[in-house]
Amino acid sequence: MGLAIEARNLVKKYVSYERRGFLRRRKLIVEALRGVSFSVKKGEVFGLLGPNGAGKTTTIKIIATLLIPDGGYAKVLGHDVVEEAEKVREVIGVALSVEKGFFWALTGRENLKYFGMLRGLKDHELEQRMEYVIRLVGLDELNAADKPYEEYSLGMRARLSLARALLPNPPILLLDEPTVGLDPPSARTIRNLLVDLAHKENKTVMVTTHNMFEAEMICDRVAIINEGKIIAIGRVPDLKRMVSNRVAIELIFSTPSTSLNTIEEKVSRYLSISEINVEPLKEGKAKIRIIGKPGEEEIIASKVIEILYSMNVKVHHVHVQEPTLEDVFILMTKKGGEKWVRVFG
Amino acid sequence: MGTSVWMILRANFYSLVCWYKNNKWLLVSIVIWPYLMSFVILAMGVLYGSLESFKERLSIANPVLYVLTTSAIAMSSVGIIDAVANFTIYHRWIGTLPYLVMTPTKTYKVLLFSSIPESMINITLSVVAIIPAVAYFEGLLGVAKVTMVLLIVYIGMMPLLGLSILIASFTLGIKGEEDVASSLTPFILLVSGVFYPIEILPRILQYVSTIMPTRYVIEVARILATYAIPEAKLLFALLYLLAILTIGYNSISALTLRSIEKWAKKRGGI
Repeated sequence: MGLAIEARNLVKKYVSYERRGFLRRRKLIVEALRGVSFSVKKGEVFGLLGPNGAGKTTTIKIIATLLIPDGGYAKVLGHDVVEEAEKVREVIGVALSVEKGFFWALTGRENLKYFGMLRGLKDHELEQRMEYVIRLVGLDELNAADKPYEEYSLGMRARLSLARALLPNPPILLLDEPTVGLDPPSARTIRNLLVDLAHKENKTVMVTTHNMFEAEMICDRVAIINEGKIIAIGRVPDLKRMVSNRVAIELIFSTPSTSLNTIEEKVSRYLSISEINVEPLKEGKAKIRIIGKPGEEEIIASKVIEILYSMNVKVHHVHVQEPTLEDVFILMTKKGGEKWVRVFG
Repeated sequence: MGTSVWMILRANFYSLVCWYKNNKWLLVSIVIWPYLMSFVILAMGVLYGSLESFKERLSIANPVLYVLTTSAIAMSSVGIIDAVANFTIYHRWIGTLPYLVMTPTKTYKVLLFSSIPESMINITLSVVAIIPAVAYFEGLLGVAKVTMVLLIVYIGMMPLLGLSILIASFTLGIKGEEDVASSLTPFILLVSGVFYPIEILPRILQYVSTIMPTRYVIEVARILATYAIPEAKLLFALLYLLAILTIGYNSISALTLRSIEKWAKKRGGI
């Protein structure tokens, strides 16, 4: 299986200026990518995972020829993204944001026709492809193809965005958070479609996300990126194996009067464990998730309950689970998570 | 495969037709705009003076027709600047700019040719809108004159495109969404002699006006509205100046756009 995308030592810095007085300003340099390398095989679904600001969108924009890297190189089907940008554009279909990117007053079909013409599709071929992609993404079932874009729901917009990416029938799809903000049925439709495109139509799909569940469901391989560096890359089971000798203990509790950070600090100090994640949930509840060694579940759970009771916080549920990809992600992207960094084949 | 210039023009023409089809009131407002503008200018003029003195000062036979013609040309000029210079800002705002840049051809070609259909439609609508009034005042001869004005404005569009692309290049380079064109449009109209005769402007603005393509288009319109038979010599001199400006502006803008495109892609402006 050949390579569809190859990135080697990509470096990207953004320069901005902070105003400090009427005439003075300070130069700020943000290192968005610090030597990113990875490759994507033809016909695979490759996920680039990372928290906000990790460098996912910068990476996808470089591959899509929208940004010029400061160092390193990227190739798409052997074409350099800077030197042969036009050839790269001929073989990629891109969806960058599901929220916008179309003319508001035009219908979905009119928008597709416009972008199809810009891609150089001839009339007959364009009409055929339009009908095909409208059916494929399910816009016909929703009777949305002839509605103005401004009346579209977020789910419809995501589908139209994917339809545009698929319109010229490109062998490679680059999708930046294609399901962000979507309702579960729409997200499921998009995910199933991406898997089908890769496995039935042999398309290469590169997708960025911070949804671990999604990555686990659809990606053949994933790379975890944090602060501009790839910190792990491999098949999902390989990454999960890194924490296979661990268990995840999860406690659901009422939101306390003190901040969640205080709870995290207290539990971390008391248990001498750094693999802890606390996050708020809906309906006045919050969740604490701790990665520990098998056999220590009961001790950990009882100690956490003790701490929470001492803070007058009511505990509702305690679960013990196998660690997920999300646990791997949280461990690696947390401060001090460098010890988990792994690169698989 | 790649995308040809013809496909870029066709796609943008198609999107505009759809735009007007879905926004019929917008089309109506464009058609009545020169009449509204003329009405305001004439009403204000009558408040402070008389139509007779206006005719005398500008040596024109029909002030209504003159104001209508210059209003249509001003609208066309604003239309061109708006379509071209605001092109990158508009597409950045609605989120389509990255998809235009990803068209499989040179980016500067997409940015250069995408706004031409809108400019042409803006000019045509503004000038054609005044035909009923012209036909009423001057009959078939007036319609012929307006057709000539339309052709002159098309020619005048060439250097104005270059000027607008320069502004568009600047907005492509900056990361924010500063509406540079909207700030510049009133100034361009001022130094083009749309609102006041150029002779009464300060000396420095008179110098600036010599490099403004719209100034010569307005001059041509004035000749056509003033005399029954245009002064051929003067008309050719103005066309000659427009040709020089066309070469100058378009050469500078093509060079600028290519280097600013690279700069924008380095800075993350797209």
